Amino acid sequence: MKKHLAIYGKGGIGKSSTASNVAAAMGEKGVRAMLIGCDPKSDSSITLLGGKRIPTIMDTVRKKGSIKEEDVVFEGFNGVKCAEVGGPEPGVGCAGRGIIVAVQALQKTSSAMKDSDVIIYDVPGDIVCGGFAVPITKGMVREAYIITSGEYMPLYAANNICRGLRTLHTPLSGIICNEREAEHEREIVEKFAAALGVPMLAYIPRHKIVQNCERAGKSVIEGEPESAMADVYRSLAGRILTEKNKKVPDSLEDEDLRKLTR
Amino acid sequence: MEQLETVDRIMQPRPSSIVAALYTLRDLDTDVAILHGPPGCCFKHSRLLEEDGMHVVTTAMCDSDYVFGGHDLLVGVLKKAVDRFHPKTVGIVGTCASMIIGENFHRAVEEADVGVPVIEVEIHAGYNDNTHGAIVTLEAARAAGLLGEAELERQKRMLLLATDIEKKFGAASRDYIEPSRGDLKYRAAERLLELMRGGKKGLSVLNAKKETAYMFADVNLAVSQAAKVVGAPAPVTIANLDPDIGLPRIRRYATTITSQMAEAGVAVDHVTGGLDEYPVSGETAARVITEKYSNYDYVVLSGVPHAVPFEAVRGMEIFSITNGPRQVEPLKTAGHRHVMVEVDLHPKTLGVHGMVESEFGETLRSMI
Repeated sequence: MKKHLAIYGKGGIGKSSTASNVAAAMGEKGVRAMLIGCDPKSDSSITLLGGKRIPTIMDTVRKKGSIKEEDVVFEGFNGVKCAEVGGPEPGVGCAGRGIIVAVQALQKTSSAMKDSDVIIYDVPGDIVCGGFAVPITKGMVREAYIITSGEYMPLYAANNICRGLRTLHTPLSGIICNEREAEHEREIVEKFAAALGVPMLAYIPRHKIVQNCERAGKSVIEGEPESAMADVYRSLAGRILTEKNKKVPDSLEDEDLRKLTR
Repeated sequence: MEQLETVDRIMQPRPSSIVAALYTLRDLDTDVAILHGPPGCCFKHSRLLEEDGMHVVTTAMCDSDYVFGGHDLLVGVLKKAVDRFHPKTVGIVGTCASMIIGENFHRAVEEADVGVPVIEVEIHAGYNDNTHGAIVTLEAARAAGLLGEAELERQKRMLLLATDIEKKFGAASRDYIEPSRGDLKYRAAERLLELMRGGKKGLSVLNAKKETAYMFADVNLAVSQAAKVVGAPAPVTIANLDPDIGLPRIRRYATTITSQMAEAGVAVDHVTGGLDEYPVSGETAARVITEKYSNYDYVVLSGVPHAVPFEAVRGMEIFSITNGPRQVEPLKTAGHRHVMVEVDLHPKTLGVHGMVESEFGETLRSMI
């Protein structure tokens, strides 16, 4: 069964490092995985490609008028297919429109998209505008995962994303906790997930290995395959592959969310 | 998406893909078109299309809808339009505003659940070729089960060929073309009558697009009438008036014009194709001319003269009638001696059910 999923969460919370590690762990198991980075910064797949940036879909469309798969889809570590939407420099143009155009262009030309068992869309920030929702609204994504820590602001953003998912009738499959050393972090995020009616799929401890591997342009699966961190990602990848318990979430009221984090 | 970073973009105002989508919905006999966008978008063409019998409404998006999205507006207008007009089919047409913010037509259609087929045309005006709007509409109609695969493919081929012709010979052939009203009609008419009176042999070619034939055919009619009155050899009439090609509406145009011309005593000698086939019917006309009439003295080309390959009429005195002020310069450059513009032809051919008088035709008639 094919899985088409999007990973959402507050900016800087660890979406890209989680997405690329999960993709690498899936690749290790022989699952055909594809990672589509939707951030104009185009850095989702960088740790799967030895620290190199790949030409983005939008830059290619801009130069050539159209794209061919070989121009924009590159094979990274463990066979993970990587593509980056790209987009404007900060402060100009419309990144949301970029996602609309790029994702549709990719869908038209990409055989990797058809052949992959799992496609992961790494979507920046919250669902900030219609463009950022396009992987969902065009039916390319069938489920969402949200990454958060136990701090109030990432939870607030996560809750906001749930509002977006409700509007778009898109199910949430689970919450992933990326540790930020908040007090009672695991408990808070577990309660949040329970309140939404979905499982907390992983608790990713804060560890310098992740930073070190990123600096080396590698995923943890590649850079520190024997580490406990690598196993955390492997087990998360396993959960994502088997997770069936998804539901369109009801977001919490602000006051309830506050109580939860106290 | 189109990106033309390395190409010189055309500077003059161009036909819009959104408008092309609206006209294509009209061709499909869609009862209501909903523009999902700001109130003034495509106003002029919307008005004209209302005259042609299609209801056109807008969701009237405003600044706050650009910010918050216009989903509820679209659902509301869709329901209202169905309640008010009882359509058999509805089309939703995108605009730059709604497409840039990523509005989702399908979700609105599902939510409104109006019980009639809805053609979802996700289009904006940011395309170099306006025919893209027509193609997207036809594909959406196909997706809604309202158009057959073979007809879709035939029309797509025509649209791509038409685009090609515009780029090679027409208004898209240069980055800027000065608009022109062309030659004085009475001067050209005078010369045409002089040739007729001199017993010269002539060809009268109609190669027109869709409803514009309602007026362009009047030129060919007047040419035959003038030849008869002055006792000149009857010109050979060649026209793309096949009544069995295209959508029902387009066939109706061809049938009506053919019978009106017959009533006026003019028969079409050679039928070159349907009224939506001007890119290929021009070539068919050229083939007929080359095979049978290459020694003729003059030719009247009405409609899309630049779609008739020049080689076929080289050496003849050419009288071309177009409705594009930006077709004049390319036609003159190509070697068409007389080029006349039927100003505002298109608005005059909407909302009518038969032929309308052309200025050139009337000028010719007034001089015999």
